[in-house]
Amino acid sequence: MRMIDALTRSMRASHLLVALLVAASLVFAAIGAAMGETFYLRLATEALIFAGLALSVDILLGYNGLLSLGQALYFGLGAYLSALVLMWVPSFWAAFAVTAVVSAVVGLIGGFIANRVRGVYFALITFGMAQVAAKVVYNTRALGASDGLIGVPVIDINLGIISFSSASPAGFFLFVLGVIVILYGVTAYLLDTPFGRLLIALRANERRVPFLGYRTMTLRLSAYVIAAMIAALSGALYPMLRGFVSPELLFFSTSGNAVITVIVGGVGTLAGALYGSVLLTLLKSVVGSYTEHHVIVIGLLFMGAVIFLPRGLMGIVRPAVERMLTRRSKP
Amino acid sequence: MSGAIEYFQFVLAPQMLIGLVVGVAVILVALGLTIIFGLLDVINMSHGEFYALGAFIALALASIGLPFWLLLILVPLVMIPIGYVVERGLIQRVFHTSERHVTTLLLTFGLGLVMEDVFRLIWGPNPYRPETPIAGGVDVFGIFVPSYRLFLIVVGAAIISAVALIIYRTRLGAMVRAAAYDRHMAASLGVPVRHVYAGAFAFGVALAGLAGVLLAPIYSVFPTMGRDFILMAFTVVIVGGMGSIAGAVIAGLFLTQVQAIVSLYISPVWSDPIVFGIMVAMLMVRPQGLFGRLGHG
Amino acid sequence: MTYKTMMMAALLSATALGGAQAADPIKIGVVTPLSGTYAGIGQQVKWGLDLATKEVNAAGGIMSRQIELIYEDEEANPSVAVQKADKLFQSNKVDFLTGTVNSASTLAVGQVAERAGKLIATTVSFADPITGDKCSPNVFRVNAKAGQQSAALAAWLAKDKPKAKIFFLGPDYLMGRSTVAAFKEAAEKTGATSLGEVFAPLDSKDYSQYFGQIRAAQPQVLYTSVAGNDTVRLLTQMQEFGLLRNLLVLGASGTVTAQNIAAIGKAANGFATGVGYSAELNTPENKKFVEAFKAAYKTEPDLYGADSYGLIYAYKAAVEKAKTTDTDKVRDALRGLTWSTPQGQKTIRAGDHQAIQTMYVAQVTDGKFKIASEVKGEDAIGPDTCTRF
Repeated sequence: MRMIDALTRSMRASHLLVALLVAASLVFAAIGAAMGETFYLRLATEALIFAGLALSVDILLGYNGLLSLGQALYFGLGAYLSALVLMWVPSFWAAFAVTAVVSAVVGLIGGFIANRVRGVYFALITFGMAQVAAKVVYNTRALGASDGLIGVPVIDINLGIISFSSASPAGFFLFVLGVIVILYGVTAYLLDTPFGRLLIALRANERRVPFLGYRTMTLRLSAYVIAAMIAALSGALYPMLRGFVSPELLFFSTSGNAVITVIVGGVGTLAGALYGSVLLTLLKSVVGSYTEHHVIVIGLLFMGAVIFLPRGLMGIVRPAVERMLTRRSKP
Repeated sequence: MSGAIEYFQFVLAPQMLIGLVVGVAVILVALGLTIIFGLLDVINMSHGEFYALGAFIALALASIGLPFWLLLILVPLVMIPIGYVVERGLIQRVFHTSERHVTTLLLTFGLGLVMEDVFRLIWGPNPYRPETPIAGGVDVFGIFVPSYRLFLIVVGAAIISAVALIIYRTRLGAMVRAAAYDRHMAASLGVPVRHVYAGAFAFGVALAGLAGVLLAPIYSVFPTMGRDFILMAFTVVIVGGMGSIAGAVIAGLFLTQVQAIVSLYISPVWSDPIVFGIMVAMLMVRPQGLFGRLGHG
Repeated sequence: MTYKTMMMAALLSATALGGAQAADPIKIGVVTPLSGTYAGIGQQVKWGLDLATKEVNAAGGIMSRQIELIYEDEEANPSVAVQKADKLFQSNKVDFLTGTVNSASTLAVGQVAERAGKLIATTVSFADPITGDKCSPNVFRVNAKAGQQSAALAAWLAKDKPKAKIFFLGPDYLMGRSTVAAFKEAAEKTGATSLGEVFAPLDSKDYSQYFGQIRAAQPQVLYTSVAGNDTVRLLTQMQEFGLLRNLLVLGASGTVTAQNIAAIGKAANGFATGVGYSAELNTPENKKFVEAFKAAYKTEPDLYGADSYGLIYAYKAAVEKAKTTDTDKVRDALRGLTWSTPQGQKTIRAGDHQAIQTMYVAQVTDGKFKIASEVKGEDAIGPDTCTRF
């Protein structure tokens, strides 16, 4: 019998929870499509897109112990790249390929800069880099400056077997769900490899890892680039949904929201990023229908999570799922 | 030659004077931020909202007829107990966790979000523009300058010097610096560290509140007013050296002069990315900033 | 058809159809800034729409259907406007949408409307591209664009201050760049010189850092197209720094209006603008409108209130002509439509969906706008540059 360690077990619990979320999403999409409900399907699609951004924050915070206050830099990069490519050639694959390549290069450069410092300085330097990028985009006429880029065309996404329009609410929702699940899967797989385990070891004890013969900078840089690419690929979906991009996507509020999502959902669980995004979107729309001051509720929830629930929502849910899994795996 | 003198007198000098006003304003906000970091190791992300809180309290007190001059004293006095309670009730709850920097940063970030929305709930989203306490202007070498801006430079400089004096020259300041250098040593020497921490936080946010009162007649009062200034204040604190008062003053003056002079030749909107770029470069090359932190030399 | 006969016609048609059973209301979504620097503009938009809706509903509605207005706050932010417009189209199922102020919001919401297969109209946005190179078959504009305003103002400036040296300060977004470009072109054609231009972000709190470039340029005339509370701050700060001495300030229609003129105070004196409406217009239709507006809201209407008021009547006329709220049919009915407003007759040019109207130059003396000159609609409108339809 294969040994199952704590990490694998908690990962499996996360997988189960994500599978549950996917099942719920499929039901939601079916109901939404049947009722012709466009607004809520689009809202749910947006929640998933921002879940991708939160996922990238969790890679850094949960597995690397590094708080990024500027992950919107890569999300916005992806969104603008995708918008520019789509306005030129309306192909999903072109947009995704360009985003992946460019974000890897920019992530590498950003990673070199940011990983020169540790701890709280990492948070500040990522914050600063995103500010510079946001201000540059905000002031560059060629990128639409403060108005953003309007007029991203509706595209047909051809997956070989089926093809559908990005304007189709249910179709695009399912597609985004697929992309985010793949991003989650890739991340979870990488973190379960020796590379991922070294990252976690690095977080626990930074001094010991070099003695095992690994270069900490390479490890950290790889994690940073992966996070940057995931944020950028999520961002690339945004203009397909909304038809336009604006500099707000690079602002601190976008980075901040992703951090809130991860803390509320549960740091270092990956599934928490997804659940957090769904939960916050739900809260915003439910509380938002009673009062326009939903930020008070979300802010208090966030503060409560920081003080009382260091593992967020997943801190309550996942141990129960883990116990369930352990019980079943025992004969 | 006379052209150059004229350019200096009528273009460059007034622009530098305007930059000086902004500089003093930014330093006033940054001062509290750097003291709180220097002593508590806390990056107070809600500092901008405390700046706004001061302005809103002033707005409320002015509406019941209190004169501006009284508010300059009253608002910081109201802010001190608020800051004290926030430190004891919130910051201390997560102060002893292993990743203190990150958790306190997140907690104050959440607090700032809540405060901003509470301001919106009470006062609405639109800006209030308080009456300028000193109307009119003064002719300075052929340039007309609003009196209130000159007043701000003078009062701001006085406040900054007073704070520096308190920290570096008084017994109270010595206790603060001792607690910042080594809290256990300070505690064993009889420094009431708990009160010093909470007191320093309260002092820091009271300074932010005072800045709010002083700057409201120029920048108006509105819920998101904290955001505009806090970016610049953070930049000043990082470049100057987190926790250093002298660093905040020098970086504050330097960066705002860069902004002012650059604004003459390129579109002023580009002065922000230049200044933030300096911050990123500083963090790369010398993360501790120009000067060491409080209590450390 | 005058305003009065139009009301009579509306009344008559209402009585004629009185026997028919009351149908569902016609829903009009309004995405307009209710907060932020443009809140005052949004307020005028709301007042204008509310007043016209009240009148139309009292007279029996449109084809005996009442009008229902559904408001959402745009915050003068395109990304917010897009979400709110999407919600109004998809969730509230509105038939028509208006209210956007920020020009970029209008463009972005126009795209949302195209995807939703609905029509929108702006009553406020100035930027020329909205009915120019970025025109949309689903977007109409019933107010005067930057080009119309500039044509009138430049002609007046050439007479008042020939060969003027001008510096430009605009808000740093689509509207600002479009108004500055339009006035620069119009003024240079009539012999003026441009000294330089600078753009400040929307909602700037302190303009003093922009004064250096103005000082260095030493202009005789400053053209600015900031609006709302931004104008209050810009002009009072310029006065504080003594920069208004020996300087003529010109602006876009919305720079100084009834909504912010009191807050600007003395700094507004001498300000001149090219505008499609003024409460001072001496026509019976306008006097009646101003009276009704003042009675309801205790303040004078400005161009936004008047243009928004007029839109409801344009939509009513188009729906009644089309006999349906169907998008394609209403679009056809709006094209080439001529209708009466407090500002006089307006005609929507079929080629670019831009309303043609008489333009005025209004100048502030002692805190009040006075009409200084007038330009015919055909002379101010300029060529049709829309190529999409």
